[in-house]
Amino acid sequence: MNTLTVNIIIRFVLLVLIQGLVFNKFDLFGIYDPYVSVVFILIFPIKINRISFLIISFFFGLTLDFFTNSLGLNAAAFTIIAFLKPSIMNFVFGNFYDPHGVKMIKNYIVESTIYQKILYVLIIIFIHHFVMFSLESFAINQLIIILQKTIYSSFLSLIFCFTFIYFSVQNER
Amino acid sequence: MQRIIDSILSHKDVLVFIILLLSSLYLLVDSNYYHKSKVNNISNNFAKVIFKKTSSFNEYFNLKIENEKLVKENLDLKNLFFFKQDISNDSTLTNSKYFYSSAKIINNNFSFSKNYLMIDKGSIHGINREMGVISNNGIIGIIVDVSENYSSIMSILNTNSKINAKINKSFHFGTLEWAGLNPSILNLNDVPKIANIKIGDTIVTGGMSTIFPENINIGVVFKLDSLSAGNYYKIKVKLTNDMTSLRNVYVINNTHKKEIERIKILSKQ
Repeated sequence: MNTLTVNIIIRFVLLVLIQGLVFNKFDLFGIYDPYVSVVFILIFPIKINRISFLIISFFFGLTLDFFTNSLGLNAAAFTIIAFLKPSIMNFVFGNFYDPHGVKMIKNYIVESTIYQKILYVLIIIFIHHFVMFSLESFAINQLIIILQKTIYSSFLSLIFCFTFIYFSVQNER
Repeated sequence: MQRIIDSILSHKDVLVFIILLLSSLYLLVDSNYYHKSKVNNISNNFAKVIFKKTSSFNEYFNLKIENEKLVKENLDLKNLFFFKQDISNDSTLTNSKYFYSSAKIINNNFSFSKNYLMIDKGSIHGINREMGVISNNGIIGIIVDVSENYSSIMSILNTNSKINAKINKSFHFGTLEWAGLNPSILNLNDVPKIANIKIGDTIVTGGMSTIFPENINIGVVFKLDSLSAGNYYKIKVKLTNDMTSLRNVYVINNTHKKEIERIKILSKQ
């Protein structure tokens, strides 16, 4: 087992435990939880091929679902953002993005502008939250409530995800 | 064939994505009670639309039987309703005074000055003279002649007909008569001018006679003439009932009628 695999396994377990045991009970203003678990997708190594990435993300979401007793909810959301991640990175980083994964995630974090970082994190968080909340309420006529919840939770998650990413990068140094 | 397989293989990550997404959605719907019921609801609604279209044809053929069933049910409900009303008015009454039996109009006149209707029930169905006839919307008339299987009704659109009525709001009584022209307008006479009446007030049966129960709808005040001489209003009442198109009616049997009449005779003596 190389260090990459070990790294992924450690992140998997750690993020699941942090999200499931701590942040699911955060409840800002009674309803808003930060979803730090999205960090798993955000800093997932690009080197690993897309199909394994999708499958790992699916099981990551499924494990999270065991904590909230909503089987399939996070799994669907994580599968979707894992699928969309390459196109979003291409959109945000432009020429800087290389799909073969020669550059590390650390490079993107260090070398990109602050707007690119925020945009990248925000788009992925927003899609994840939107998919998750709409699947949770499962009703088209509640679209405004879903959007409202998505926007508030997205900003909350954004702050926490940024903190987490910086911590993990500092550890790697 | 080779090309198809090739194109599938070249998009295998999309295929994996779709499989994973579908399996997560399947898990979502299968394991969560709320989502399951929601999906069931949607599929039921979808099926309902289709079944409704197809069953409307079948319903048409059963319409006659259904109609009869509904009339019967209506009758039971009306009996129940008046039974309840009687109890609320007078706690000593343990049983309803009025019984309803359904009938069908087989002949309807409204173009003469003395109109009569005919129904398909007669003495063998327990129908007697001087029973009231109503429909769902209001009163129709009083039975004047009975044969074995048929009875004749004096319509309220008959210049000889006089029906006791009252203003629902103020409890002033009057007599309902027909002028003989418009089949939807009747005159309410003998209402004193001290009564406070406005256009749009409801007119209901008075309950002074033994024929009609109290508080059956007749119509609304349509025109009010208080300027003319005399102590009484000239009120024109618009019927809620369309006398020109009648089908199912109810005959009212007052079970206390004989008792009331006997005591009237006794008091006169």
